[in-house]
Amino acid sequence: MFKDLDPILHSQLRLAVMSLLIGVKEAEFTFIKEKTGSTAGNLSVQISKLKDAGYVDVLKQFKDNYPQTICKITPQGVTAFETYVKALQTYLPK
Amino acid sequence: MEEKQLTEQESLQLIQQMISRAKNNFVDTGIGPILWGAVISFCSIVQFLIIHFQWHLPFDVWILALAAIIPQIFISVRERRERKAKGWDDDIMSYVWLCFGIGVFIVNFLNNVAADAVNPLLNDYREITGKENIPNFWTYGSSYLLFVYGYPTIVTGAARKFKLMTVGGIVCWVSALISAFTITKFDFLLMAVSAALAWLIPGIVLRSNYLKGKNEQHV
Repeated sequence: MFKDLDPILHSQLRLAVMSLLIGVKEAEFTFIKEKTGSTAGNLSVQISKLKDAGYVDVLKQFKDNYPQTICKITPQGVTAFETYVKALQTYLPK
Repeated sequence: MEEKQLTEQESLQLIQQMISRAKNNFVDTGIGPILWGAVISFCSIVQFLIIHFQWHLPFDVWILALAAIIPQIFISVRERRERKAKGWDDDIMSYVWLCFGIGVFIVNFLNNVAADAVNPLLNDYREITGKENIPNFWTYGSSYLLFVYGYPTIVTGAARKFKLMTVGGIVCWVSALISAFTITKFDFLLMAVSAALAWLIPGIVLRSNYLKGKNEQHV
């Protein structure tokens, strides 16, 4: 039986962000931008959506007098990601 | 990358691709292992030559190992600053090597205390019995150090799936066992070989991979 896919995660950039963050403890915004090849504006909007869903924590601070944004996956985000992957598996041919 | 809906196959491919990209970020620059491998190998070889040729240097060559802490601090601070993402095991690895550094000082301290206590007794025994081949404490002191060298090296090699470093760590432990049966000057040769195999050579390989990856990024 096919399971419903989480609409928050089932979009290219948001899924890319979550897949990156699942593999690291935390990452700078510039790191995510570089690895996903997205624009800063679009990435910012998608990270905000993930934050609103409670899937990522966003910490804004200063490093060497420059603003720095750090993103971290939350336990709720990890659970949502795992559920999404399990749901995806039901769509794969056996 | 644009905001678009994905098929299930595309989703899986994207997940794999991103996890792999995140993983590739954690490539060691190799400078730390090269520094320590070179310093410990150099000091050990000089110590071997000092004993073998009965040289008298105006300073203790192992001061170099102490001095190497200063560039190591700069290297660590710079690498931390340049790193844009933090891996799950980064903190654990830092603690492992911090404990190693403290462990080396503790073992050296205990070795010195034990040598001061035991060597006079052995000297007296040597004089009384006339047996010249009675070893002094330092014949065994390097065995403990070699054992300590192996520990974090094996842990790091295994955690980072870097076989060359794991093998280097095992060489340290094998050398620790061998050094219990060799005279002091050869212990230092074993130490030189162990440091080269555990840190210097893996460090050079890491450095070369790091530079290769960096060049590919800029193409």
